[in-house]
Amino acid sequence: MKVALVQISPILQDINKNFIQHLEFIEKARKQNVDLVIFPELSLTGYRLRDLVPEVAINPNHHNLFHELKQLSKEISIVLGFVEEKERGQYFNSAAFLSNGKTLHIHRKVFLPNYGMFEEAKFFNQGKIFSAFQTPFGKTGLLICYDFLHYGANYALFSQGADIIIVLSAAPGRGTSEKQAFASSHMWELMGETISRFSTLFLIYCNRVGFEDGKSFAGGSFIYNPEGKLIARASYVDEDFLIQGINLKDLSKARQRLLYKRDNKPEVILRSLNKAVIENEN
Amino acid sequence: MKINPLFTEKILTKFIREELKKFHFEKAVLGLSGGLDSSVAAFLCARAIGAQNVLAIIMPYGKSFQENFSDAKKVVKILKINSKIIDIKPMLDTYYSKYPIKNRLIKGNKMARERMSILYDFSSREKAIVIGTSNKTELLLGYGTIYGDMASGINPIGDLYKTQIKQIAKHLGVPQEIIKKSPSAGFWPGQTDEKEIGIKYEELDKILFQIVDLRKQKDEVISMGFSEKTITRIAEMIKKSEFKRNLPPIPKISERSVGHDLLFPYDWGK
Repeated sequence: MKVALVQISPILQDINKNFIQHLEFIEKARKQNVDLVIFPELSLTGYRLRDLVPEVAINPNHHNLFHELKQLSKEISIVLGFVEEKERGQYFNSAAFLSNGKTLHIHRKVFLPNYGMFEEAKFFNQGKIFSAFQTPFGKTGLLICYDFLHYGANYALFSQGADIIIVLSAAPGRGTSEKQAFASSHMWELMGETISRFSTLFLIYCNRVGFEDGKSFAGGSFIYNPEGKLIARASYVDEDFLIQGINLKDLSKARQRLLYKRDNKPEVILRSLNKAVIENEN
Repeated sequence: MKINPLFTEKILTKFIREELKKFHFEKAVLGLSGGLDSSVAAFLCARAIGAQNVLAIIMPYGKSFQENFSDAKKVVKILKINSKIIDIKPMLDTYYSKYPIKNRLIKGNKMARERMSILYDFSSREKAIVIGTSNKTELLLGYGTIYGDMASGINPIGDLYKTQIKQIAKHLGVPQEIIKKSPSAGFWPGQTDEKEIGIKYEELDKILFQIVDLRKQKDEVISMGFSEKTITRIAEMIKKSEFKRNLPPIPKISERSVGHDLLFPYDWGK
């Protein structure tokens, strides 16, 4: 299968312009026979919305833009980020997987960063669950940015049988290093390498670029294969459109050598987690 | 404390380009003193948007600070940016002949605000955004004039300590003599930052880095070998100057108020 990562800089609040940009990249991907095109976190709206959250919120069940995207998904699967108004006045930082004319899944960001320069929990409701779901490419899980940095979230998707984890991100860069990239980009790659290898799955990370209020999104979108090898990386900081072929047979190959999936014991982990929850309550 | 100068240049020039585009400017205007910070800002602007789109205004007070004046002209010549020399002596002297005062700090602040007012005037005339030239060290200590040199449309160098500005200056090719000379606010002859603050920039930046970037407690920094007196004074300077880094407080009356809970992004719609 062919995957496209659309590393762009959405315009804050301007859904219509962003939607047009989505259409352009979907078309570009379709022309190159891409099966799955992935956009970053909040790709329809921009990231640092603050009080603009209600203005850009949509309900994907009855919104014309989503209707149009679903039509397009008959030819190419689409993953994008948006502000979801699930019920009236209840806003989520969400990601949708569209395929075959349908919304296969909506993930609502669970871990909302709310420290330092981040203030998501002030403006968004928290998602409640991580669910892997069936897609034409295998079982898939969606994570949004800070979700991915919690290994339990990845573990949940792995234990549900995910072959692919897709991370939509809007990660601002921090720190410089020897590399021509923000030091913080290394943290994401470290997690990508670790999760992909120790869960034997494809880890696809799509970050954005551009500045919002002086914060520079770091780019550097990537794909790791199920053996923890980096197979593609987009440019750091600059806009990019990355197309990469993925061989799903690599999953079987990796799982013959690395037995984490076969030997996983979610029931033991769950029992242990229950113990932790009970003990933490006291 | 070490930065990657090439990558930092890339981020800062990209920032300048993107901000100008977002706020519909094609040009930038900045006050060029001949000191390190404004020289670095000028180099970054020239690289980001092209020399033809940069206007440097050199604003001496009469014939004082000849060395800075010639260094500023050197920068203009190297970069081939547009420039204008505006002597602020007549304006200042007219004012002070009517309201005389001896305090040189008060006078220096007035000079900084005169320059700011000229920059904003040229911002409108030329449709050019005002580029800030305050570094992170100055911003943290409040070593600048509020609504004077601290005022700007965008400040590309505000997250770089003075010693980091030196690193990027070398990389950008800022003349050695500008990098080497003692930094000064230029309020009076012989004034230098290090004399006035009472500590070398190298040591000062190391301390600020520990306190601010690494969030170290006072006793931890002292145990690294810095004097308690110095640490206390620096901590006090940061505390006392918080007002310079914020908009003035507004007493809250209504349900939704400017400065309290009207929370829109700066880049609204951009």
